[in-house]
Amino acid sequence: MTERLRRFLLRVAAMSGKEVLHIQRDPRTLYLALVMPVLLLLLFGYGVSFDLDRISLAISDGDRSSASRALAGAFTRSREFVTVAEVGPDDAERLFRRGAAQAVLVMRPGYGKDLGRGEPGRAELLVDGADATTANQILQKAEAIARAESLRLAALLGGMAAPPIEVRTWTRYNPAARSAIFLVPGLAAYLLAIGAVLLTALTIAGEWERGSMEQLFASPVGRFEIILGKLLPYLGLGMLQLLLVLAVGASVFDVPIRGSVTLLFALGLLFLIGMLGQGLLISVLAKNQLVATQAGVLSSLLPSLLLSGALFPIENMPRPLQALARLVPARYLVHGLRGVLLKGSGLGLLGPDLVALALFAVAILALATARFQRRVA
Amino acid sequence: MTPARPRGRGLALTQYRAVVRKETLQTLRDRRILFMLVAAPLIQTVLFGFAVDFDVDRVPTAVADLDGSGGSRGELRRLLADGTLRLAERATDGAAADRLLDDDRAAAAVVVPPGFGADLAAGRTARLQVIVDGTNPVQSGAATSAAARFFGARSQALMRERLAAAGRPPAPEVRVTPRVLYNPSLKTAVYLVPGILAMLLVIVTTIVTAMGLSREREVGTLEQVLVTPVKPLVLLVGKMTPFVAIGLFDVLLALAAMTWIFAVPVRGPLAVLALGTLLYLCSTLGVGLFISTISSNQQQSFLGGFLFVLPAVLLSGIMTPIHAMPGWLQLATYLNPLRYFAELARGVLLRGAGFRDLAPQVGALAVYGVAILALATLRFRRRLL
Repeated sequence: MTERLRRFLLRVAAMSGKEVLHIQRDPRTLYLALVMPVLLLLLFGYGVSFDLDRISLAISDGDRSSASRALAGAFTRSREFVTVAEVGPDDAERLFRRGAAQAVLVMRPGYGKDLGRGEPGRAELLVDGADATTANQILQKAEAIARAESLRLAALLGGMAAPPIEVRTWTRYNPAARSAIFLVPGLAAYLLAIGAVLLTALTIAGEWERGSMEQLFASPVGRFEIILGKLLPYLGLGMLQLLLVLAVGASVFDVPIRGSVTLLFALGLLFLIGMLGQGLLISVLAKNQLVATQAGVLSSLLPSLLLSGALFPIENMPRPLQALARLVPARYLVHGLRGVLLKGSGLGLLGPDLVALALFAVAILALATARFQRRVA
Repeated sequence: MTPARPRGRGLALTQYRAVVRKETLQTLRDRRILFMLVAAPLIQTVLFGFAVDFDVDRVPTAVADLDGSGGSRGELRRLLADGTLRLAERATDGAAADRLLDDDRAAAAVVVPPGFGADLAAGRTARLQVIVDGTNPVQSGAATSAAARFFGARSQALMRERLAAAGRPPAPEVRVTPRVLYNPSLKTAVYLVPGILAMLLVIVTTIVTAMGLSREREVGTLEQVLVTPVKPLVLLVGKMTPFVAIGLFDVLLALAAMTWIFAVPVRGPLAVLALGTLLYLCSTLGVGLFISTISSNQQQSFLGGFLFVLPAVLLSGIMTPIHAMPGWLQLATYLNPLRYFAELARGVLLRGAGFRDLAPQVGALAVYGVAILALATLRFRRRLL
C-alpha cells in the first residue's frame, strides 16, 4: 500500500519536474506571467479612479454682472472645474462634439438683477451626457456649488451662516476613500484567473497540438498522475502571483491585511485549484490553443471582471445575471479577500465563500478528469 | 498553348487572391474559431451592457436613531423614501450599526445622536453621521452623495422656512438647472456600449493575429508558404484581409445589438465610423503582427497580447474617465489607439459628430495604424528572410 503511494508520488513528481523544466526552458513566459500582474496592478491602482477634478467647463456669461462673475468664480474656485473657454449660449453642442468641454454654464442677461430683487438667480448647466460617469459627477458637484453659493450670499446679507442640518460622513475600512484599496482585492481574482485558467489551458492544449500527449499516455504514468503533475507547478506559480499582488498592494498602495493570513491563502488556494480545473477542462475540450484562449477569455476572464463584483456591484444587475454571478468563483474570492484584507472578517463570515470555492474546485476537477479519460479511451 | 503568365501587378493580385482564399478556407475550416470570432463579441456586448450599471439604488442601510424624537423620525423617513437608501435593519446604537457593517448586513448606516430633534427645534445646527462601507466603492459613493444631496436640500428648505417664520426677506438663492445632452437619463449602457466596440475588436483581432502567426511558425507552415513564389508582403496582406472582414462584420453585429437591445442612438454619419474602424483595425492587426514577431510560441503571443490589450482597455477612457487619471497616465493615453477609437465611436453614435469634429481622432488612428503596420512588417520580413 505504501509502496503504491510512493510510486504514485514519484510519478507525479516526475510529471511536475517535466513541467517545471518546460517553464524554465521558456523563461519569457515565466517573466510575462509574473510581471503582468504587477504591471496591471500598478496601472489599475493609479489609473482607475472615478473621482474627477479639473473638469473642463465653458462659460457663457450673457449677464456680465458682478453676481454672474461670482457664480462662474464659484465653479472654478472649487478646483473641480477649469474654465476652458468663454462662449455664446448656443455653442455647447459644437464644443461637446469636439470634446473641447464637458459642461457649459449658461447665465442669461438678468441673472444679477433677479438676485438683487430677492428672486432666485437662474443659471443653466449644459452637460455632455455621452460620458455618463463624468456627467453624474458634474451634476453632483454643480448642485453642491450652487448650494454653497446660495449660503454665501445669505451670509453676506447677515445671519443664518450656520446650516440647519450638518452631515458628517465616515468611510469605514477605507477612510481616505482611495480606489486602489478596494481595487486590489478585486483585481487579485482577475489576475489569478488569467494566469491559472489560460496558462494551463494553453500548456495542455499545446501538448495535444504537438501530439506529445499521446506519448505521455504510452508511458506508465496514469491519467490522474498526469493531471496532478501538470497542475502542481501552475498552482505554485499562481500562489507566487497571489503573493506578489498582495506584496505590491501592501507596499505601494498601503492595502492592509487586517484578518488572518491563513484564511487568505486558503481562499487563494481553493480559487486557484478551481481555475486550474477550468483551464484543464477547456484544454481537454478544445485541444487547440487558439480555441482554448477564446474559450478561456469568454468563460473565465469576462465573468471574473464583470460578474465578480470587483468593479460593478452585483446587487445592481438584472436578476438572470445575478443568478449567473452565483456560479462565478471569482465572486467568492473577491468577497473573501475584501473581508480578510479590509474588514478583518473571520471564518464565521467567510465560511460560505470557502465552501463555495471548494465546491466549484471539486466539481470542475471531477468533470475535467472524467472528460480527460473519456477523450483518450 | 500555355496561358500567358501574369506579371507585375497582375501577378501580385493573383497571389493575393490565392492567399486570401487559403486563409479564409483555413479560418472557416475550424467552425469553433469562427464561432468564437462572431459569437464572442456579441456575448460581450450584451453582457457588458447588462452587467455594468453605475446607477445604484436600494443600498441596504442600518439606522440607529438615538434621538427618537419626532424631528429625527421625520428626517429619516424622508431620507429613506428617497430611493437610494433602503432600510435594512435598525440598530440600538452606533457600535451596533458598526457591527452590521462588519457582518455585511448593511452597506451604509445613519446614526442620529441624542439631541438632534432638540437642536433642530431650537434652530441650532443639528448634526448626524453617515457611515459607509468603503470596501464597496460604488455603493458607498451613491450612499454618501444621496445623503449629502438630501440633507443639503433639507437645510436650504428649513432655512427658507425659518426666515419666512421670522418675517424676514427670503435668502438669495442660486438655482443651477442642469440639462444633460445626448443621454438625458444618463443610462450607463448607452455610453458604455460604444466603448465596448473598441474593446471587443482589439480582443478579437490582436490576440487572434498574434497567436495565429505564432502557431504557423510553431508548426512550420509559414516556411512552406515562403518557398512558393508568393512575396512576403503579399502573404501578409492576404493573411490580414479575412480578419479585417471579420472585424467589420463584428462591428455591424455589435451595432445592431446595441441599437436594438440598449437603444443606443446612431446620430452621426456611419461613413466616419466605418473609416475609423478600418484605420483602427490596421492598428490592432499591426500590434498583433508585431507581438507575433517578438514571440517564439503561442503562449508568449497570448501573454504579450494581453499585456497590450488590458492596459490599452484600461487607459482608453471606456470604463473610467481619462480626466480622472494622474497627469503622466493621461499622457500615456495619447499613445493608445483604443482611446481614439472609443472617442470616435462615442462621438459619431451619441453626439452626432461628423468628420470635421473627429478629424484629430481619424488622423491619430491613421498615423498609428501606418506606423505600427510598417514597423511590424519590417520585423516580420526580417525574421523570415
